[in-house]
Amino acid sequence: MSSQALLYIIVLPVAWLLLWPLKSTRSRQALLLVTSYALYASWGLKFLGLLICSSVLNYGLGISLRRKQSVARLWLGIVLNVALLGTFKYLPAMAHLLPHSSLSTSFANIALPAGISFWTFQALSYLFDLYREEELDPSLLEFLLYMAFWPTVLSGPICRLSSLLPQFREILKPAAENIRHGFDRICIGLFMTALGQLLGGGLHAGQGIDGIFDGSTRGLTGPDVWCLAIGYGFELFFNFAGYTHIVIGAAYLFGFRLDENFDRPYLSTTPSEFWTRWHMSLSFWIRDYLFLPLVMLRREAWWRSLALVVSMVVFGLWHKGALLFALWGLYQGILLVLHRQWRQLQRRYEWQLPQAIMGPLSWIVTFGAICLGWVFFRARSVTQAFTMLRAAADLNKYASRTLPANLFLLVAALVLGYFGTIGSQRLLRKYSGGLTVPLEVRFALYSVAVYVGVFHMAQTQAFIYFQF
Amino acid sequence: MKRLAILCRLCLGLVIFVLVLEVCARIDDVVSYDAPFWGSYNDEILLRQDSIGKWGRPGARYAKWQLNSLGYRGPELRPGSIRIVTVGASETFGLYEAPGQEYPRQLERGLNSWSGKDTFQIVNVAFAGETLPTSILRVPEIVEEIHPSYALIYPDLSSYIWMSVKTETHTASESSAPNASRTRATFDSRLAGRVGNVLKQALPSAVQNALRRVSMRREIASRHYVVLERLPEDRVGRFRQDLRTLIAALRAHGVEPVLVTHATVFSKPLAKSDHVPLTTWRKIYPMLKEEGFLDMEQRMNDVIRQTAADEHVPLIDADRQMPHGPKYFADMVHFTTVGAGIMASILADGLEPLLNSQLQKTADGQPADGERPTTGLSQQ
Repeated sequence: MSSQALLYIIVLPVAWLLLWPLKSTRSRQALLLVTSYALYASWGLKFLGLLICSSVLNYGLGISLRRKQSVARLWLGIVLNVALLGTFKYLPAMAHLLPHSSLSTSFANIALPAGISFWTFQALSYLFDLYREEELDPSLLEFLLYMAFWPTVLSGPICRLSSLLPQFREILKPAAENIRHGFDRICIGLFMTALGQLLGGGLHAGQGIDGIFDGSTRGLTGPDVWCLAIGYGFELFFNFAGYTHIVIGAAYLFGFRLDENFDRPYLSTTPSEFWTRWHMSLSFWIRDYLFLPLVMLRREAWWRSLALVVSMVVFGLWHKGALLFALWGLYQGILLVLHRQWRQLQRRYEWQLPQAIMGPLSWIVTFGAICLGWVFFRARSVTQAFTMLRAAADLNKYASRTLPANLFLLVAALVLGYFGTIGSQRLLRKYSGGLTVPLEVRFALYSVAVYVGVFHMAQTQAFIYFQF
Repeated sequence: MKRLAILCRLCLGLVIFVLVLEVCARIDDVVSYDAPFWGSYNDEILLRQDSIGKWGRPGARYAKWQLNSLGYRGPELRPGSIRIVTVGASETFGLYEAPGQEYPRQLERGLNSWSGKDTFQIVNVAFAGETLPTSILRVPEIVEEIHPSYALIYPDLSSYIWMSVKTETHTASESSAPNASRTRATFDSRLAGRVGNVLKQALPSAVQNALRRVSMRREIASRHYVVLERLPEDRVGRFRQDLRTLIAALRAHGVEPVLVTHATVFSKPLAKSDHVPLTTWRKIYPMLKEEGFLDMEQRMNDVIRQTAADEHVPLIDADRQMPHGPKYFADMVHFTTVGAGIMASILADGLEPLLNSQLQKTADGQPADGERPTTGLSQQ
């Protein structure tokens, strides 16, 4: 467990106890802001200074936009925010392209402030919403809290002010239902994160997904690549969705409802559907503030496709300024375009297979294509990614495997276990109206989750999205 | 009434919560280490008591530590190999390294890779808390069981601090190091240890250091320790005498000793990061000031070098060759897996010239197992 995790475990219950006796919204907001700043400061005082500067700057830009909604003012806000993000996120990645000097070394050593990609996108969404004449009138305190709100500031979900502001202004009361739901979500998150770590670390040292990606991937066969691609897809899902469960659950304990980030994405039967179920807060941000404004510029079909690809490349680059992430975005963009073309062809020629065949077939193609894309997301280099994809495409290499059998078994068990859990949940809801768990059993389950989460999870790097 | 019922259920829930955590910890032990579910489970199960002191229990296993059928850490003896025993304490036994990565194991792999076949076997006869006087008494037993050709001596120096206190106070309660004796609780919670470890990881080092200092001051006050600026010369003399006795005992049994100086995490001069392990060290031995530890290390390493020269014993100067810092040491003196690898390669480099003639004899058809070296190394 990291120092930061311990601080969260100590500070949040204290803040929870102090919150409810406060009767005014302002004092509650102030308490939440102090808590958020105290927790964020544990990642670095300089980072906190940067967050406050960005918050004050965007609040000022917001006032200016509210007074007069001009494109110039919006662009000023966009440029300033992108410049801030670029300085801390993309400049260090590009430093090696500069001639070797003290300046390039300084650029390379710029540290990435925790959650900068998330809170900068929150700030941008505020400016866009104001430009679109949304009724947003936060006080400085409310806006500072929106930017630094402790559940979302590190790794999202990227919330909109329009969804948080009414909650900041409400005098919430501790509700048993919220507390129960909050703990449930935290426990589910802890379990999922532990499963993600199990996939990453493997059953034996060096035999997990991460160990194999970080080692040599020469000589991999088709089944190996599929095992790694599907395994990493689930590792990332368990990890990020698990983290999201934890923060949404923690927010629930304080009475706040955050936007969901995942909705069983691997059940999607088309790439378009997948992107409405995976990292939804970022996906919807890109759709609302990049894709839709772009697509409105021209009416031609090719432009729409290009806008789709550009949006997905930006989606990829949001993670990291690296060629692999641009390629991952490009790949996803092409998948979306291909899906659109396919649907147009279907409509034009009126191809219609029975749903019993079309449904599973679509799911298999979508699942396979999405999983294969994770190779770009996780590979250490472009060469490694293409070597792996070549192995997956080489049908002669499907007769053997080089990875240990226990990794195949682990991936298969967790993937089947995940789909089995979803299926059994549906059956339970259908036939018994949901499962009622007695309080004592609930405490026992929480205990198992805490054990798995606290004693079996490694350090801060437990959460993959902290690096973005 | 309804509130009271809810309160009762919540209290019951909390009890269940803690109990399930304890059950999880025990199941974890069963699954990970094949440990018993019931009863206590700690490092004491690795040890047995005999007339000399604590010694390895044959075939015992605790967490990642596995002893062989003779009670030594590592695999079973391999017939036909040239055996080298490693004599020492916890640094040699291995605490923080991944299983199979303690320096004796890495050294064995290194030497066998150098010789091109499985010629050598390193037998790790060290234990946590083992001192030179007990090692001397163990020599006949070790030789009879293992028939080693060489003994690498990597002595624990800190035990001489404790000896000095024992001499001054003459109390039974202080006759052994603090960690060596453990009172057996009626209920040994496995959860408590894990919580302690998690807190150790999570608390910032500055906070941990402050807590260590408080605990150290308390212990000094409660035990009335006389705090020493430096280790008294008679202790260093005792160390010199013990080393010579061990060398003589090994030679009397036909085993060729090789001395190794003691390496620590501390840079020379001290780095800023060295203050945390220095305080950790002081907490274990509160009777000697921090500067006194570094002085002790230097003086005792000088004794090792001088003894090697006087007794014509081959010397490997790990103190001068080992890099310093937390990458190589998990605490003051115990190696990380990386550090154990470096230590193994330093030892291999030092041993290879000595082992060349031994390899030559083996190649000439003389039996290696139980063979006594007559290569004249003692005259070096």
